[in-house]
This record gives sequence, structure tokens and C-alpha cells, in this order.
Amino acid sequence: MAEPLALILREQFHEPSQQRETATLGMWIFISTEIMLFGGLFLAFTVYRMYYPRAFIAGSADMNIALGATNTAALICSSFTMALGVHSAEIGSRRFLNLFLALTMVLGAVFLGIKFTEYYLHYLDHRVPGPGFFFAGADASKAEMFFLLYFIMTGLHALHMFVGEGILFSMILRNRAGSFSAEYHTPVVLAGLYWHFVDVIWVFLFAIFYIEGLHLHKW
Amino acid sequence: MAQPVVSRKTYALTFGTLLGLTALTTGLGFIDMGTLNTGVAVGLAGVKACLIAGFFMHGFYESRTIRIAMIAGVVWFLFMISLTLVDYISRFW
Repeated sequence: MAEPLALILREQFHEPSQQRETATLGMWIFISTEIMLFGGLFLAFTVYRMYYPRAFIAGSADMNIALGATNTAALICSSFTMALGVHSAEIGSRRFLNLFLALTMVLGAVFLGIKFTEYYLHYLDHRVPGPGFFFAGADASKAEMFFLLYFIMTGLHALHMFVGEGILFSMILRNRAGSFSAEYHTPVVLAGLYWHFVDVIWVFLFAIFYIEGLHLHKW
Repeated sequence: MAQPVVSRKTYALTFGTLLGLTALTTGLGFIDMGTLNTGVAVGLAGVKACLIAGFFMHGFYESRTIRIAMIAGVVWFLFMISLTLVDYISRFW
């Protein structure tokens, strides 16, 4: 059943602010482990990018900037609605919290829809690494590494988006059950931190995969 | 908490700046600046990340303990990437 409206102060804490700060600190430590997870991949990208600069820029020039930029805008909009959701929770407006959480979910779904459309276009263009991979030019095998990293990194990011959608949905259910109030809404704040973190990762993915070779893009 | 941590106006300004920076990143991407392209793209991404972490994630408003936790992950990443690159770059020497 839903928790009562009043704040639940667990026995190990002196006061609500201490409980809130502990939860936030825990979330940031979790986010640090996520930085380590993505960090390893960003490191791999950097090293290969340094070894094969021409192939990686050619691969980046092959990206669809319109879809990529639209997705970046969609994700920034979703972060904004998430922030407004946290604001609604802080002032105790359950109706607006519901609205903003739902809007954030919709924008997240738009992102995922565009992302998988892009994957389908890559598939049609034979850009999926493996036996069917095709890339014109001398650097095909090196460009394949670019696309391998692209699929792994954006795929892991998309997986995080799916998890985020699940978290937001559970927040909507808990909000409808009356679990959150102006006094107690820490789960909403933590869900927001996760969502914004996934946004930050995308901002960097956008820069390294879409922007780097944009000046060489053939229209 | 009676008082919201960040005002709606601040959120809106951050949002507008982020969209503007995305447009700027994309626009500058079309210009051939040689090796600078990567630096500009990643640098602007870093500015956007700071805005998101600072305002949307309340980083500018949190206690020192939480800020240390926020920065620790990034600093670890910078250590890892710089030390690894020192190795890879010096292999060509």
C-alpha cells in the first residue's frame, strides 16, 4: 500500500534534511558508478579516434544530423519537464507532478522512437558491424570500429532510457497513490537526477558521434 | 521542504541556454576548423553538462558533501583518460 502523506523519518536519522541528504548522496555515488561504466566506453572511443582519425571523422560524417539534433532537443526538453516535475513535487502539486512526469515519458519515447528509426536506417545502409557491413573508401574496417562503438554506446544509452521510462512510470503510479507531498518527495528528486544524468551522457554522445564529422557531411 | 530549491525562471533560462548551445554546436559543426572541430564540440558539450548538473541536478545548491561526490566521478574519469592517453600518445615517440 501507499505510504501515508506525512514524511516518514526513519529511525537512524535525526531530521528530514539529513535523511534527504543521505539519499541524494547515495544517488550521486550510484551516478559515479555510471560515469565509470560509460567512462570506459568513452575512453575506448578516444583511443580508437586517436589511432584512426580519418575513418572516425568519415563515419561521423555519415550520421543523420537532422535526427541527431532533433533527438538532442527532445532530450533537453524532457530534462526541462523533469525539472518542472521536481519543482511541482517541491510545492506539493500532485496534479502538475503527474503532468510533467507524463510529458517527460512522452519526450523520452519520442527520443527512443527516433533512435530506433536511425538504427533501422543504418541497417538499410549496411552500417551494422558484422559480415554485412559496407562502407565506401579505404578505411572501411576502421569505420566499422566507429560504428561498433556507436551501436554499443548509443545502445547502452537507449537501455538507460528504457530504465528511466520505467522509473518515471513507477513515480506516476506512486504519485497517483498519494505517496508524495511537499514534505516527502525524495524519490522524485532521485528519479530526476537519473534522468538528467542520462541526458548529460547523450550530450557527449551527440558531440562525438554527430558533430565531429559534420563539416564533411554529403547532402 | 516549503521552498523549492530552484525557481521555475532559472529552469527556463537553463533550458533556453541549453537549446541555444545545441543550435550553436550544430551550426559550428558545419564549419571546417580542422582539428578544432572536436575540441569545440566536446567543449560545448562540457558547458551543457555543467548547466544540467548545476541547475537541473541542483549541483550549485547542494551541500559540500554532495558536491564532492558529484565531482569525484568526473575527476576519476579525467584521471583515467589523461593517464591512458599519456601511454598511448607516447607510444608513437
